[in-house]
Amino acid sequence: MRIPSSFAFVLIFVLLCVPAPIFAHHGFSVEFDQKAPITLTGVVTKMEFMNPHIYFYVDVKGNDGKVVNWAFEGGPPNVIYRQGWRKDTLKPGDLVTVKGFRAKDGAHLAACSTVTLSDGRELSAGSGGVSQNAYGSAGTNGKKQ
Amino acid sequence: MRAIRRSRSRAPIVCAAYFVLPFLIACGTRAASGNPQAAPPDLNGVWSAPFTPDISKVLGHQPTFTAYGAARFAKEDEVDDPLTQCLPIGPARGIQAGIMPFQIVQTPSVLTILFENQHTFRIIHTDGRSHPKDVDATWFGDSIGKWEGDTLVVDTVGLNDRTWLDTAGHEHSDQLHLVERFQKMDNNNIKWTVTFEDPKFFTEPWSITLPIARQNTEIMSYSCEENEKDRVHLRRTKK
Repeated sequence: MRIPSSFAFVLIFVLLCVPAPIFAHHGFSVEFDQKAPITLTGVVTKMEFMNPHIYFYVDVKGNDGKVVNWAFEGGPPNVIYRQGWRKDTLKPGDLVTVKGFRAKDGAHLAACSTVTLSDGRELSAGSGGVSQNAYGSAGTNGKKQ
Repeated sequence: MRAIRRSRSRAPIVCAAYFVLPFLIACGTRAASGNPQAAPPDLNGVWSAPFTPDISKVLGHQPTFTAYGAARFAKEDEVDDPLTQCLPIGPARGIQAGIMPFQIVQTPSVLTILFENQHTFRIIHTDGRSHPKDVDATWFGDSIGKWEGDTLVVDTVGLNDRTWLDTAGHEHSDQLHLVERFQKMDNNNIKWTVTFEDPKFFTEPWSITLPIARQNTEIMSYSCEENEKDRVHLRRTKK
């Protein structure tokens, strides 16, 4: 069977490419550490559904009983809107478990990859880091590969 | 009976017309597409190409740098990416921004590309004009286009040296000359080939090709400075 050249051309890229990362404003590795995965559970205090990335904040109680307000960064609002997110998807008071990667500078900040709500729904919020890259690498500088 | 007989006698003609006419129309359309006077393909719509943070991966190797270009590439770090400063994305990188689509609005004399990324745009003149003799360097340059059959060929000069070609740090000078070919493959697919020519950074022109696919969406708002909080956290990726 002869495959049309246009179809083959697109198919090659479909096979080569994996889902795109959502860090359009900066590369993943300039801010977050792929080797520092983190999972935190707490209560949402604020949602900023704004450009260039959404931010939401979660009060997390540590083993010492001290509460720390963590910031989580997701993708641009227009990109995750197309994935089903809305500005009220996360509301203050929601109990959530967030998976992501810590900021390199040690701040209480992480790139959010998934959020699990109290009803069990898991939402992809953006960054899986290098594993989500498309063609080339935004997680590590392309020159090193 | 006569009426029935007449209708039966016409049946082969109707059948032939039913099957043969579309074929003849298709042949005529194909012949017309090779006619330079034929209407150019319709590129209107919302489109997107795969996000391509390192265009050398598409090329299969690094472009051949001049000594100056090699020194610049060795030094450059993702933290210096103009996009981290919320600066315009540039004409070719805007096409392969991937996660944010762009809209083409086409008229006989001009074709515009409206980028969702930072709400920037390109204007491509298709009225037969040439580049201005003294063109001032700008973020998106001066673009003129002409149709070669099913392909729009766009020539761009007059670019400033402040954009990058990708996230990986491929830079260019204000001598960058872009030639892009937008070939309509079918209603939902365009084959985009861009050739980068910049004697200050590269010893010879080089090209990459990416597929552009129609998107079932509308372009949306994007303002990089609205709630920018990342710059203070960025760290160099090179030791």
